[in-house]
Amino acid sequence: MMHCTMDDLGALRAGEASVWARRHITECATCQAELERLYQRVSQLKALPALRPPRDRWPAIRATLRAARSRRRRTVGTWTGSLALAATLAAVLLLSPSSGGGNLHAELNQAKQQSATLEDSLQQYDVEGRVLSGRAASVVADLEDRISAIDGTLAQQRFETQEAELVKLWQQRVDLMRELKNARATRARYVGL
Amino acid sequence: MTVSLAVPDVLVARAQAGDEAALEALFRAFETPVYNLVRRMLRRPEDAEDVVQETFLEVVRSIKQYRGEGYLWGWVRRIASTKALMRIRRDQVRATESLDDEPGKPGMHVGANIDLERAFEHLSETSRAVVWLHDVEGYTHEEIAEQMGKSVSFSKSQLARAHARLRRMLDEGATA
Repeated sequence: MMHCTMDDLGALRAGEASVWARRHITECATCQAELERLYQRVSQLKALPALRPPRDRWPAIRATLRAARSRRRRTVGTWTGSLALAATLAAVLLLSPSSGGGNLHAELNQAKQQSATLEDSLQQYDVEGRVLSGRAASVVADLEDRISAIDGTLAQQRFETQEAELVKLWQQRVDLMRELKNARATRARYVGL
Repeated sequence: MTVSLAVPDVLVARAQAGDEAALEALFRAFETPVYNLVRRMLRRPEDAEDVVQETFLEVVRSIKQYRGEGYLWGWVRRIASTKALMRIRRDQVRATESLDDEPGKPGMHVGANIDLERAFEHLSETSRAVVWLHDVEGYTHEEIAEQMGKSVSFSKSQLARAHARLRRMLDEGATA
């Protein structure tokens, strides 16, 4: 005698069974028992006790939330600072166009351009809110701190600062931005962006 | 597990305004049901913990978009199940209906006196996800199919296969 398959029993449970299955279940004690077992299994699954998380994940979530807020503030600050710096440097270059020599002048412009390009490309690796391992978060935070420190130094430069010194600072900034971009790109690949 | 969580509107409003204490209160309200849901779907506890964290980071990021339609738990649950299914998809090898759960294969003898909970743990992650979402959480096959990026018939056949396997494992356990 042909019996209901598990597909038939599932369809009976969902009220979508075939005419044959609906008729068969009224006549076959074996299939009636099988359907009853299915109902019991589902009831038992629903009654399983709740599994509780073994560790408190809130501190990690809060840390990520605070880091994201801090990064947002810093990004705004960096952009504001960068604009001010650009204005200052433009003034320096306009007021003393020959003070640094042609090569230094070109190097400075190149470093600034590279820095701006890296700022742009970093926007596509927005890892805000994503889960970072402790090590990755530490690397990113360290790089961001070092970039902020250079921005602070650049902001304190005076008009009479040697152009060579400015070039050096901007190039350091570019190097750190590259490292930061690599760190974020690696993480982005890892999370499958 | 039945969840009947009512979250005060004022708490949601504070969370939407970025209040950290309110966000933590939401986390405390939902951490166990979210963990239970994703732990039932995923085999490894550490994966479930990661998904809990990803879920709440998404909740924090998107809470402003919650418009109050339906229960907040339903909204949070949807985020959690989507993220758990994403993790299953990301690791297809682990999720593929395992060759290893077939009866008679070495290493998969589940032993005597197996109970339903242990038998359930022996299912593949895809099967676990379908069974849990359909039978316990009350998702329709259409909803499961949409979330998994599969067809409705895939969801139905996974459910039937999973129940057939559960039945077999429980029978084998009872007669061993």
